[in-house]
Amino acid sequence: MSWAVTGMGAVAALGGDVGELFGNLCAGRSGVAELRGFDHARHTARHAYEVDNRPAPGVDVPGRATGLLLDAVGQAVRDAGLDGSDLSGVPVLVGTGLRELRSVELWRTEGAGFPAARLHFGTALREAFRADDTHTLSNACSAGLYALALGVDLLAQGTDTVVVAGVDVLTETMYGLLERVQPVPPTRVRPFDRDRDGVLMGEGAAAVVLSRAPGGRPVHGLVRDVAVNCDAFHVTAPDPAGIAEAIREAHTRGGVKPADIDLLMVHGTGTLLNDEAEATALADVFGPDRDKPLVTATKSMTGHTSGASGLLNLVVTLRCLAEGRVPPTVGLDHPVDEAAGFRFVTGEAAHRPLTVAQLNAFGFGGINAVAILEAAR
Amino acid sequence: MTVVVSGVGVVLPRARSAPELMAPAAPDAPPVEPKDLVGRKGLRYKDRATQLAYCAADAALRHAGLLDDGGGLRVPGRSVAVVASSNYGNLDTICRAIDTIAEHTAAAGSAMDLPNASSNVIASSVAIRFGLRGPNLMLCNGATSGLDAVHWAATLIRGGRVPRALVLGVEPDNASVRAFTGGARTIDGAAALVVESEESAAERGASAPAVLGDYVRGAGLGRCLERLAAATGDRPALWQLPEQWQLPEQRTAAVPDTLLAGVARHDLGEVFGLGSGALGVLQCAAAVGWFARGGAGPVYATAGTDADDASAGIALRGRAAA
Repeated sequence: MSWAVTGMGAVAALGGDVGELFGNLCAGRSGVAELRGFDHARHTARHAYEVDNRPAPGVDVPGRATGLLLDAVGQAVRDAGLDGSDLSGVPVLVGTGLRELRSVELWRTEGAGFPAARLHFGTALREAFRADDTHTLSNACSAGLYALALGVDLLAQGTDTVVVAGVDVLTETMYGLLERVQPVPPTRVRPFDRDRDGVLMGEGAAAVVLSRAPGGRPVHGLVRDVAVNCDAFHVTAPDPAGIAEAIREAHTRGGVKPADIDLLMVHGTGTLLNDEAEATALADVFGPDRDKPLVTATKSMTGHTSGASGLLNLVVTLRCLAEGRVPPTVGLDHPVDEAAGFRFVTGEAAHRPLTVAQLNAFGFGGINAVAILEAAR
Repeated sequence: MTVVVSGVGVVLPRARSAPELMAPAAPDAPPVEPKDLVGRKGLRYKDRATQLAYCAADAALRHAGLLDDGGGLRVPGRSVAVVASSNYGNLDTICRAIDTIAEHTAAAGSAMDLPNASSNVIASSVAIRFGLRGPNLMLCNGATSGLDAVHWAATLIRGGRVPRALVLGVEPDNASVRAFTGGARTIDGAAALVVESEESAAERGASAPAVLGDYVRGAGLGRCLERLAAATGDRPALWQLPEQWQLPEQRTAAVPDTLLAGVARHDLGEVFGLGSGALGVLQCAAAVGWFARGGAGPVYATAGTDADDASAGIALRGRAAA
């Protein structure tokens, strides 16, 4: 069984809709810029992949995550031809790593007004779309794909239409605490490169509408299935064994073998630990078929958008499958040894007919999600 | 597929078991001390919410017969999902860390705070402590979050992803939470359920004191109750009331007397403090306690009033009555 994606929406540092984002990614443009949201005097890191929508440089306001989410959901709902003025009864699942915790920080440090009822996204989704079956899932950096897994389960159990979204903006606590574990502040994200310095946070939101029966609606692509598990190993460090198990389960659920995968959209955060663990797990599962799929990592251009990243990658991957075009991994010059033999797209976008893609997302706590996608043809 | 409750853990100052949720200890009961319940090992650097969750998880897994005497898991780790719910779990870490950055720059922060800055630390830490390798979810979904967590656990089971799940609801009480909620005192405790397919509970020879019925979520408490009644074809014998979670002093006005007139009402928040993200899990645990004390007939657990973004409800039945 597979499920049709009938609507897509996205906003990130690189673009305010899916087309703009995908075009910029394929052109190899990076959304990295000098840090806008926080006082530079408090931080040694200087860069991030922010959405440039604050009132002025250095001036932050509460509710930006909610704003990006409503934008992406609105785009997806319109694209799917749903009545955005009344989503009552339609499940809306929102994956997020940091929910509205940036607003909590602004309440704490600047006395910004921020009611507890807006810590989760249901209140704003009700106001904007009359949505009343809303679920804020705070599942770290795999939140978006975890939400997708739950959406797929609802469809399999009889629900007709599900909206799945992911969103995150920078929090100053996460940005600042990352400085404590990355001795050299990175100036850009370089997934799988031997000389990578670590991760930089990004901002964004993405949303999709999934339908049991799309009728005559245009279909962007299909979600075959999503595997989810937990390493139960460490609160921040990934475990290659748990990741490999999730990938194998995704292949089983999706009815594919490694040799069937045309495109691997990797998690690729640019941290020392993730990229080694992810490459080790992929090498383990793909074995001699590792030279078959094209591989790319968009965080080189979007930054790590945490809970949004899985769904941003979902909409990007569906465009890749539809157009046969794959964005390059910017900044990847010398791949790590663990990734030897994989066909990373570097330099410029690759062009090739594509049918099946695998999409990875992993989060703090060893929570892994792997999706299998298929072109709509 | 029938989904049952096969284990319950309750860790509150005034209640240490499901039946005690219906007959609480005196109001001056001391706070929960995690090291007295699960030992000191592994508590260092864990926030209060995670420590409380460890205690409730340990109690529920033992009650369900899933832990051996040495604390080891009796079933494969892959067969147990974790679904945790909390709205304020890591608020204290966020407030402490941002205070440090604002006063002394990020260089003064503690790397040990990094995992706790991610809101899913409760769910993942419990998985690590007990070796639970199934799907791992953290719900932070406002007033209805606890009931939503129970729903997602049942959805994972019905979808065939796992035969069983540990559901956790926890809210810590601390100065940051009180300031953020306008002075509310939370339960400063946790509740946990093991929910399981009837078949896998039977295979293990586990007893199952309650059956999870239908779940509804949508706008309007009255409508939510109507939908539960339509789904169960029955009136409840006991109604677990929602709480108005932002402003506890306004709680009484939130539930009109005309709703389910004549049905016995039970207000956990009034007795134990603001349940918030833990409320729904506490309500299900209290339903099990009510059945254990001889209560018969369906129990409606409900969260979220018309002042919230939505209401949710779950109907539960005692095993004998199922």
